[in-house]
Amino acid sequence: MNTANAYLRSALFLLTALVLHMALFSDLRVLGVAPEVPLAIAITAGLVGGPERGAVAGFVIGLGIDLYLPTLFGLSALIYTVWGYTVGLIEERIFRSAWWINVLVTAAATAGGLLVYALLGELLGAANLYTDRLYVVMGVAAAYNLVLSLPLLGLWRWSWPRLLGEER
Amino acid sequence: MATGTRIGRSRFTLIFLLLSSATLLTLDAREFEPLQRTEETISDLISPLRTGADRVFEPVGDAWAGITGYDELESENEALRAELQKLEGQQILDSDAAIRLESLLDELGLPYVQDIPNVVAEVVTANVGNFDRYSVQINRGSEDGIRTGMPVVTRGGLIGRIDGDPGRGHSRVTLLTDPGFEVGVLAVGTDDVALASGGGHGEPLMVTKGLEIDTEVDVGHEVVTSGVDRSRYPPGIPIGTVTHIDYDEARLLQLLTVEPSANTDNLSFVTVLLYDPLADES
Repeated sequence: MNTANAYLRSALFLLTALVLHMALFSDLRVLGVAPEVPLAIAITAGLVGGPERGAVAGFVIGLGIDLYLPTLFGLSALIYTVWGYTVGLIEERIFRSAWWINVLVTAAATAGGLLVYALLGELLGAANLYTDRLYVVMGVAAAYNLVLSLPLLGLWRWSWPRLLGEER
Repeated sequence: MATGTRIGRSRFTLIFLLLSSATLLTLDAREFEPLQRTEETISDLISPLRTGADRVFEPVGDAWAGITGYDELESENEALRAELQKLEGQQILDSDAAIRLESLLDELGLPYVQDIPNVVAEVVTANVGNFDRYSVQINRGSEDGIRTGMPVVTRGGLIGRIDGDPGRGHSRVTLLTDPGFEVGVLAVGTDDVALASGGGHGEPLMVTKGLEIDTEVDVGHEVVTSGVDRSRYPPGIPIGTVTHIDYDEARLLQLLTVEPSANTDNLSFVTVLLYDPLADES
């Protein structure tokens, strides 16, 4: 029952985050750059829930956002999966971290994730990803996600309270 | 032991998800129809939620745009005021730009764009991500007769084309500022068909192919779609005005810089021309 509840909360959280990203956050641009909420979702899921949940959350939110992006369907899902998993693994093996480390990791992983997205996207034939503007996008999106990381970390803990308790 | 099992399971999950993503990428690259239909269905299911949220948060987005783009708005207002004064002063000479264009098109024997069936659509979301600066989503789709490749215009002229497979009630427009966007054009009063391509966000279009050195083009010349045989675009849709003329290294071709006549920023409503020359042919 607890597991079902956690999955339901996670699904609700992911759907709400996706809709809010498209309806609200994508309009809140600084220097033409919006927060990378879906990427932040994958990263914070990895930080709170570990590599497996980070990968699953990254895959689901990546597929959701891929529906609305002109790039190949599955590209965001692929990168967010890897990113959610990697961040979760690093957190589990290295940091076991304080909240401020999680916040910094979210920002750094956002910048790294965008760079990988642009490089892999170009490799797969998508145009206009690796441009001079990429570094501006990385910087502003990282700053945005730094701010968003705390509420997102809190929301993931709300989604998986019992599961996290059982694992400890 | 439990930790070992958990690590094994998480690796298995990762591999499964990676394979799933790679499969989806491959199927999408091959334009696998069932996948595209599934994408459309899911997108249509989310669509009402998204539209509702758009309506709720629209004032927030507008307020944000007002705050962050205040300087830009101020200078834009100033430029518009100056433009208005200029227009008022030259009202007789200038008459209406649309009438002038229509008469130019009449002279060329080009059919007027409004004769083509069209659908007015609302721009529901501009860019969702940070890498899609050259596309917008509109609230009309396949059930309104929209197909991929159809031209999209505003009162100012061509702004782009429908890209990807339209959903039932929504579709994506690739803007003509996209560096990958190409359209056959001709300068009004000339016969040489040339190829214009997008120059990037806020940048003019570039005509780099097809315009021979002896074609008489001047700064200020209007440029329209050529509408040559099998072109995606009907003839005579305004593209912009020539602002600079240069030449290629061999001095065989003219290279034109064209300022688009339609503004692709802050789009609210657009018109999709239900023009599909290949369908007519078949």
